[in-house]
Amino acid sequence: MDSVYQALVDIVGQEHVSNRQEELFIYSYDLGTTEPHRPDYAVIPRTTEEIQEIVKLANKEKVPVVPLGGGLSLAGLAVPFRGGIALDLKRMDSILEVNEKARYAVVECGVSQGQLTSYLERNFPHLTHSEPGAPPTATIAGNVAIHGQGDLAQPYGFNSDMVNGLEIVLPTGEVCKFGSCSIGSGWYTQHPLPDVGLFLGWSGTTGIITKVSIRLFPSKKIRGVGQFVVEDEELVPEIMYKLTHTQMTEDVIAFSQAIPPFASGLQHFTINIVADSEKELEFKHEIVWDDTLGEYIRSGAGGFLGFRSGLQRPQVSKTSDWRKGGGFEYVGAIMPVETYPECYRRGRDISERHDIPYTVLGRCIGAAHAMMFSWTYAFNRADPETIRQAREALHETDDLALELHGTIWKPGLYGQKLVMERLDPNTLNLMKKIKQMLDPNGIMNPGNWEVS
Amino acid sequence: MTLTDYKYGDVIHRCFRCGYCKFPINWMDVNNCPAYARFRMETYSCGGRLWLTRAWLEGEIEWSDHLADILYSCTACKNCEVKCPLSFNIDILNMMIAAKGEMVERGEVPSPVKEFLENIQRQGNPYGTSRAKRGEWMEGTGIEAYQGQEFLYYVGCVGSYDTRGQETARILGKVLQKAGVSFGVLGNDENCDGNEVKNLGEETLFEMLAEENVAQFQGLGVQKIVTLSPHSYNTMKNDYPGFNGEFEVSHYTQLLQGLIRDGGLDVSGGYNATVTYHDPCFLGRWNEEYNAPRAVLKSTPGVQLVEMARNKDGALCCGGGGGNFYIDLLGGSADSPARRRVREACETGANVLAVACPNCLTMLEDAVKAEGLEDKLAVKDIAEIVGEACGIK
Amino acid sequence: MDIIACIKRVPDTSEADFIKIDPAQRDIEKDRLAFKINNWDEYALEAAVQLKEKLGGTLTAITVGPEDWNEVLRRALAMGADNAIRIDRDVSADDAYTVAVILERVIQRLSYDLVLFGAQSEDFGSGQLGAMVAEMLGIPHATLVTVLEAEEGKVHTQRELEAGTLQSYTIELPALLTVHTGINQPRYISLRGIRSAMQKELQVMALDDPGLSPETLVPMVKLEKLELPPKGKEAELIAGAPEEAAERLAKILKDAGIF
Repeated sequence: MDSVYQALVDIVGQEHVSNRQEELFIYSYDLGTTEPHRPDYAVIPRTTEEIQEIVKLANKEKVPVVPLGGGLSLAGLAVPFRGGIALDLKRMDSILEVNEKARYAVVECGVSQGQLTSYLERNFPHLTHSEPGAPPTATIAGNVAIHGQGDLAQPYGFNSDMVNGLEIVLPTGEVCKFGSCSIGSGWYTQHPLPDVGLFLGWSGTTGIITKVSIRLFPSKKIRGVGQFVVEDEELVPEIMYKLTHTQMTEDVIAFSQAIPPFASGLQHFTINIVADSEKELEFKHEIVWDDTLGEYIRSGAGGFLGFRSGLQRPQVSKTSDWRKGGGFEYVGAIMPVETYPECYRRGRDISERHDIPYTVLGRCIGAAHAMMFSWTYAFNRADPETIRQAREALHETDDLALELHGTIWKPGLYGQKLVMERLDPNTLNLMKKIKQMLDPNGIMNPGNWEVS
Repeated sequence: MTLTDYKYGDVIHRCFRCGYCKFPINWMDVNNCPAYARFRMETYSCGGRLWLTRAWLEGEIEWSDHLADILYSCTACKNCEVKCPLSFNIDILNMMIAAKGEMVERGEVPSPVKEFLENIQRQGNPYGTSRAKRGEWMEGTGIEAYQGQEFLYYVGCVGSYDTRGQETARILGKVLQKAGVSFGVLGNDENCDGNEVKNLGEETLFEMLAEENVAQFQGLGVQKIVTLSPHSYNTMKNDYPGFNGEFEVSHYTQLLQGLIRDGGLDVSGGYNATVTYHDPCFLGRWNEEYNAPRAVLKSTPGVQLVEMARNKDGALCCGGGGGNFYIDLLGGSADSPARRRVREACETGANVLAVACPNCLTMLEDAVKAEGLEDKLAVKDIAEIVGEACGIK
Repeated sequence: MDIIACIKRVPDTSEADFIKIDPAQRDIEKDRLAFKINNWDEYALEAAVQLKEKLGGTLTAITVGPEDWNEVLRRALAMGADNAIRIDRDVSADDAYTVAVILERVIQRLSYDLVLFGAQSEDFGSGQLGAMVAEMLGIPHATLVTVLEAEEGKVHTQRELEAGTLQSYTIELPALLTVHTGINQPRYISLRGIRSAMQKELQVMALDDPGLSPETLVPMVKLEKLELPPKGKEAELIAGAPEEAAERLAKILKDAGIF
């Protein structure tokens, strides 16, 4: 009898652990192009205490632990490269608190983006959170663990900048809290205590987030999306600068894609505008479309395609069906806004060389402080050749992002290697020390962010 | 069979596993796939099952009891099909049924599924009770055998054999008598409708049942059928035409809606209760009939209708579809869909959970007992509610 | 490995209250009953098919019965039998010895390594047939087999005895085994499978084919009378609310000294 299996059964119960081929198969796969690796166990805990026990067991037995939220990173960040325990956290799905006045929500790590969206819509319609473009099954904790961004990135920045507090199970099994909650003062701020934020961006290699306090923002009664299009990609950066200057927008995205063919080569903008009244909306429309973008419309360089009330979540997964093949993966990188034209041209070139319909997108972060630029490559899951092509394109794009002085967001193993090759040696050394101190047995999501 | 021979071999890999298939009416949680809600391992999600099926047909994984349990834990509730945003969504459930069909042909099905299908082969019902007892439910009701009346009242296996189902079958019969509807039943000559058989992947047995039933109905001159079970309604309405069986099929709630509206049924006796209604999958998502049962409840004096958070195409299946009311692969836990559902019904403040399907009735009534909610919530078939309102006890 | 599996057809007796004795008190009334393959025989067939799938060879299914018993042979063919033989005779009045004589005559003309029977029948339940046939054929046998593994020239078996005691034997072939439930999980036979088995050939033998005649078949035991047990008076139906009923049941059990 497998003693680790038995110990896991004792912790979470028979039904919540598996070492059978079916679960091991499913949890070996990422949805992107990363090669699968089988875990030895799949475990679905319900409580922080259970996670503590699992982590202690893993230390004792020197078994890797790979935490998993929605499993939608696409970069293979939850693939158990060295086997061990695939720790699916989606059963930890309670929304613990919504503080209406201080505008934050405390959620367990398995709470999905959609769950919070829906909960707020039903109970606090005047509040919202920054929803990523991922399918709404993506989790809030998983998203902040990889420095995600959402549809409030333009006014408020990265989602990981909206964290008010965390509860973490350390790789050695202790529970730690960070932010105001750590002194029992509620979950309203991450600052101003000594900064020990060693968990965001580490992709689960330094601990397991079990609770997150995330900021909520005002949700206006009317939320809608306006569409604008220009032919010349060189105009995109200045349009982003001008739009952010208005402080009248909520989400500013520029994108271009090969499908449908008639729109190929054009740069489309989606610009979210919100208001509490028709009067406010009218005012914002005037500022955005007339005062700011009017010159492009008048000169014929750009066109206004209309405004539609109601926000529709972009169904990113539809991209997966472009090659009738059920798969896509993208490189996302945080880039200077001024690189948009080159990102578009070089990305389109990479796609075309690999025979993949191109799709690129830049989402403005902050007052054009940066953009998250993504290059997406669809593949056919049933055709290994297209997977290989997509993987090659992704690697070339990782190289490109760094060449254009960008920073790869949630890089997979290949991208991590490129980043670490360029990292300041002292910073790299500090990362190594932190990792060794927190995770002496190297059990947490091994393979990722490993400094040699 | 390999992936090449599999009917959906060119499409099954197209599932990305984005997880929309798990959503209810909105994104409030990821628990609207009954099997996933019960087990919470990704293998039990619709996407998990599709990926596993492909891996099995590709030879990446071996058949196992566990794999068979995972596939057969699908209740065919159609939530995935309704929620999936991709263009191939119309075939998701067929992909699953075809995979079950492959297990059937290989003989490798979970043992309760084997029992279910063998019982139907032998006795025409999943319980294995004798065919000669099928008509016992109607003893003492004065319900006539079908001999050219306007309607054939088709009762189905659960209504014919399950104690609770029989009560409902009798009351509906009495309601129809009271309304002066001209109808008859088949009694011991009634056979299984085949709806579950089809969803369990036993295509040939289903075809045989459909052909025999169509021949029998036509031989008796049947033109209109009213069914107790939405499962019968579904297959007779949607599948039997493919066997040259064109009948005017209605679910009993549709017939009652018309009778009450046109004054043919006096429900002035009323029914005083706060009622929440559970949409059966084979009436709701499968046939988009969300209105008739609600209209019947609303037109019954004293009924105050409240909705659960998940309703209509977002309703959570009771966990009894795909033969699971008998094969029971989803039972045994507080996470079982039926138990989740009755807790949700309780949250509305309703004291009656109304159903329109004998399978849902037995599943949810058992769940009320398991949850210890007998004092708070009664599970009633709409036929029983209407029966009481028109003075039938 | 060439295997012979002997099977029979029995009434579906899950409906015990349906069983009625015919006026002659030699048989039950069968007109309202459904029929099926004997439960133990299904396990024997599955064991045979699994051995054949693993080791190759042939599988022959044999039954002794009237024409409607063909259905159990069709089932065997659908499961994977290569040949099916029915010896045409109404066996409802025969004892186990008579059937054993018939089967021995048929089997001894065939080539075989292993003969499998179900451990007993659901209807008469004598459990004698397999052992008798083995003795008549002069080959070793084991009854109540729950584990069966084969290798060249021999089989390893386990028999399940009282209280779960297991006996292990290695038996040289040819041999005869009677198979217990639990040895495997018999596969489902789809209707498509049964229908395609309808196309396969089914050999029907008259009693004189293996050189037998009704006169030569002299039973060793003769059925005198078949009757249903008198209705018991001991049953008590416990009514009332679950709590009261549970209390009453607990008291009965306690008074009976059960706990």
